[in-house]
Order: sequence, then structure tokens, then C-alpha cells
Amino acid sequence: MSSGTKTQTPSAIESHPPEPKESREWLWSLILGLVILGLVATVPVLGDASALHTWTLIIMFVVLAQSWNFIGGFTGYSAFGNVVFFGIGAYTTGLMLLGNQPFWLGLVAGALVAALFAFLLGLPVLRLRGHYFAIATLGIAEAMREFVTVRDVGGGGGGLMSLPLPSLASYVGFFYAFLGLSLLCLLITVFLTRSRFGYALIAIRESEQAAEALGVPTYWYKVGAFVLSAVPTALAGGLYAYWATGFDPDTVFNVSVSVEMVLLTVLGGPGTIVGPILGAIAFEYASFQLQTSGFSLHNTLLGLSIVIVTIFLPQGILRLIREFVRKPAPGTPRANRLVEGVRRVRRFIAANGV
Amino acid sequence: MAFGQVFVNWLLLGSLYAAVALGFSLVWGIMNIVNLAHGALIIVGAYTAFWLYTQLHIDPYLGIPLTMAVLFVVGWIVQYVAINRVIRAPLLVTFLLTFGLDLLITDLIQQFFSSDLRSINTAYAGNGLDIGSTHIAFDHLIAAVIAVLLTAALNYFLTRTRTGNAILATGMDRDAARLMGISIRHTYALTFAIGAALAGAAGAMLSELYPFNPSLGGTFTLRAFVIVVLGGLGTPWGVVAGGLVFGLAETVVPLIPGVGPGYDDAIAFVVLVAVLIFRPNGLLGKPFYS
Repeated sequence: MSSGTKTQTPSAIESHPPEPKESREWLWSLILGLVILGLVATVPVLGDASALHTWTLIIMFVVLAQSWNFIGGFTGYSAFGNVVFFGIGAYTTGLMLLGNQPFWLGLVAGALVAALFAFLLGLPVLRLRGHYFAIATLGIAEAMREFVTVRDVGGGGGGLMSLPLPSLASYVGFFYAFLGLSLLCLLITVFLTRSRFGYALIAIRESEQAAEALGVPTYWYKVGAFVLSAVPTALAGGLYAYWATGFDPDTVFNVSVSVEMVLLTVLGGPGTIVGPILGAIAFEYASFQLQTSGFSLHNTLLGLSIVIVTIFLPQGILRLIREFVRKPAPGTPRANRLVEGVRRVRRFIAANGV
Repeated sequence: MAFGQVFVNWLLLGSLYAAVALGFSLVWGIMNIVNLAHGALIIVGAYTAFWLYTQLHIDPYLGIPLTMAVLFVVGWIVQYVAINRVIRAPLLVTFLLTFGLDLLITDLIQQFFSSDLRSINTAYAGNGLDIGSTHIAFDHLIAAVIAVLLTAALNYFLTRTRTGNAILATGMDRDAARLMGISIRHTYALTFAIGAALAGAAGAMLSELYPFNPSLGGTFTLRAFVIVVLGGLGTPWGVVAGGLVFGLAETVVPLIPGVGPGYDDAIAFVVLVAVLIFRPNGLLGKPFYS
């Protein structure tokens, strides 16, 4: 035994991989994100009114997915009720507009109210974990919808709210406002992948107990992430309120919007920089195309996509692609790379099965 | 309202809620899956009973075995084709998958039966037993009795039969159960099928008692969750306890001056958070499954 190890030891040291260079992945992701948003920015110039309408909504979903990513992707907490912040933003902004306040002030108020709400809600709810957290957040969205409906907050019966029409020229403004919000979320995401705060959130996702043991105040970081994800969601809600001019609790507190945020992020890749953008654009674009072609089974489609995504892309498109192109073991013939990649992807999918 | 009447209403509602949550508790306890499609399965049960009643003129209560059989098959297929494939995935994935199934099932029912509010009016719907000023409706009483019988049957099945023991063993330790020669794939499919069949029974009973439409599934899922959390995972009788406590909250809270009806989900949510903070293991339960 000894002679064998002796001869092997020096070669083992030589073949030891050098210290990995700092990954530049974040930079490429940021550039890719900027390019995508830049391309989308040309829609008002190149497209017609209906394209503008569709893309405004698509970018809104991009923002929703990006902000869900802060809590769901980074800390791994399955928040299923984030639509509640959207609704709060919409109703606060709406009430401010009805009180003859300027629109921007309404947006700010909506963001502040949602942030406060997320903070106060997060204090009890973020003590829960796993299923309990998920259902508690789902429950708060339902409870809030019920409350707004029963108390008739909008004043139009059953919580319905009607706002004054914004001027027609401003629809382009709404589009760029959503796009700007998305850009902001992109920058925050990059910041999260590169900062102490973001590392703490990822540590919570990987092992909350280990993070706690290393002295990370996990509870307060989670509350911070929850508030951080509430603010852009509320801003999107406020923008949506004025853009749509009329809405009811069933629209802005709709739990399936919450679930769409989760789906879009999971589809792209939770915890990644461009994942939510890619997932949201791909899914929502396809969904709008189907709707305009007269396909009426929207929820069937959404349900089926969820089933397919969760079974075949449990960690998103990006993760699957990475699995496919990962460097094969040394000595694998070039010709076998494709087969090897397919085999790896299949193994990756099957790993979740019984 | 007289105290006796409130008491009777509470008992009847509480046992009905036990039936609503029974299958949910089984699936969660054994497979650690929170089945968000549970409410949709209850709705499928309700519409199966409705279909049996309008097409074949079978009374919803007498048709319960048929409804359960239909749902058993549906549940088996769902588990075997879909959920078994993600059983080891992170929680988010299974959660999302069952929500997708919920959307899918609800939308399909809506296509077949439309979203109109339906109800079943049997000949004996108004009849009941009067003790003093207290009225006990027959249909509610039968439902409560069936709910208790189902709980007892599930308890017997799990603790006294070989197959039931296999299910419990799989819930306790999947790998050890596999080494004992239990087929995990089939046991899981069976567990989910039984859970779905129980949801079907609950749906059949609800269809006789209350008007229903396809969009009610979500509220039942939320309630089932709260009831299971209240009672604690681990035993079928815990579900009855949870159902009774939750029924109490729903019977009493609207009677408080200044609150009034209409806050069902809000009540459920407040009860849930309160229990999770003060008694994380439920009222009767033990931290049996993580």
C-alpha cells in the first residue's frame, strides 16, 4: 500500500486544481439582463398600442417575479401571499388619488404602507418555517381580500374602486415606469449576490441553523428581505391601479397572481439574477399570445405549465442548461458529450422522484 | 340564539370539518406534502355527487361509496403520474405542483359544470329532530355521524391492518420501509388515493348541505390546513379535535357584537397564526412528522 501512495502523492498535488478565480458570472448576468430590458425598451417605438399594452403587463410580471425572488429565491422561504403587497399598493395609491393627491405621492404612500405591513406581518409570520410559513402568507392574502371586500374600501360596492382616467399620452410613461422599476430590481438583485446582506439570505436558504450558529441574525435578515420584496411589489400595484383605472379586490388580491410570481421565478431559476426576467417574459408572452388567439382556458394552461415546470424544471431553465453544459469528467470522448449531457439532465430530473 | 342551538350547531359543524380535513391530514402526515389541491378534490366530490343525483337519482349520502371510488381512482393517478416524481424535491416544488393541480382541476370542473351556484335538495332536507327549542336537522346529523364513522374507519385501517401499517411505516421512515419490502411508489399512491377518497366523501356531504360552485376549493384547503394544525398531525382523532375547535371559532366569532358574518377566512388565518405561535405542535399532536 505504502509504495503506491508514495508515488501517487506528488502527482495528486500537481493535479490539484488551482484556487478558483472569482466568478464573473454576476457581471455576465447583469449585462444579459440589461440587454433584455434594453430590447424591451424599444417596444413603444416599434410596436403598436396593443403591443404596448401587452408588454406593460409583461414587464409588470417581471417586476413581481423579481421582487418575489428576494424572499423566495434568496432566503428560500415559500411566500405564497405576496400579492397582498400588490393589493395594498393598489388600494393605497387609489385612495390617495381619490383624495386629490398627486400620483407620485400615492405611489410613495403605497410603498410605505406595504413596507410597514410587511414588517408587522413578518414579525410573527417569519418565525414560522416551511409549510406553515407558506400557508400563513397564503391565508393573509385571502383574509385581506375578504376584509377589503366586506368593508368596501374602494367605495364602489364589494371593494370596487374607480379612478380618474390618466391622460392617453401617459401610457408610454407607465410602460417606462414599470421598466425602470424592473431595472431597479435587477440592480438590487445584483447587489444581493455581491453583498453581506445577500450572502446572509443565501446562508439562510442553505441552512438556517448553520447561519444562526455562525452569528447571522437570521430573523432580522428575513424580515429585511420580506420588506425588500414588498416595496417593488407595492409600487407595481400602485402603477397598475392608475394604469387600469378600475379594479376590485378579486383582481389585486388574487392568490393566483401570487402563485404566478412563484412560477415565473421557479421557471427561470430562483435566486439567480436573470432567471425571473427570462421566466416572466417567456411565460407571460406565451400566455398573452394564447389569450389573444381566443384560447379561454387560462387557468388550465397555468395549471398545466405549473405541473410541467415543477416536474421537469424544478430549479429552473438556467440550472438545467448549466447541468447540460457542465464540463464532463476528464477522458470523456468529445463525441459522447451530447449523450452525457442528456443523461445528466435526465438524472437531474429523476433525482426528485420516489 | 339559544345556547342549546349554538351548541348543537357547533358539534355538527365541527364533525363536518373533521371530514373536510381528514384526507388532508393523512397525505400531509405520511408524505409531508401539503396538498393544495385538496379543496379541488372536495369540489370534484361535490360535483360527482351532484351528477349522480341529477343523472342517476342517487341520494348523495347513499352515493358516497361511489363518489369515494371515483376520487380514489383520480387520486391514485395524480400521485402516480405527477406527485411521485417530485416527492424528494424541496418543499416549494411540491407546494407549487399541488397548486397547479388545484388550478387545473378547478378550471376543468368549471368547463364541464359551469361556474353557477348548484345545490341538491332532497325530500328530507327540511326535516329534523326538535328537542325543546333546539332543532337538529337530519341531513346535518347524518353528515356528522358519517364523519365520525370515517374517522374511526381510517384509524382502524391504519393501526389494525397490514396495509395500514405499511402506510404508517412509510410515513415514519421511508428508507427503512423500503428495506422491509414495502413498495414506496404504490404505498404513496394508495395514501393519496385514500386522501382523495375522503375528500370526495366530504364533498358529497357538503353538496347536500350547502350550495357550491367550483371556486370554493381554496377556502376548504385553507380550513383543512388550519384544522390539521389545530389538531396536530399524527392521529385521525386529532383531526376531529381540530375540527371541533375550529367549528367553535366559526360559530362563536360572528356572534360577537360588532364583527358580524363574512370574515370566515380572516378567522381561519387568525386562529392559524395564534396556534402556530402558542402551540406549534397543535392541541393534541406531537411533532411526529417533521
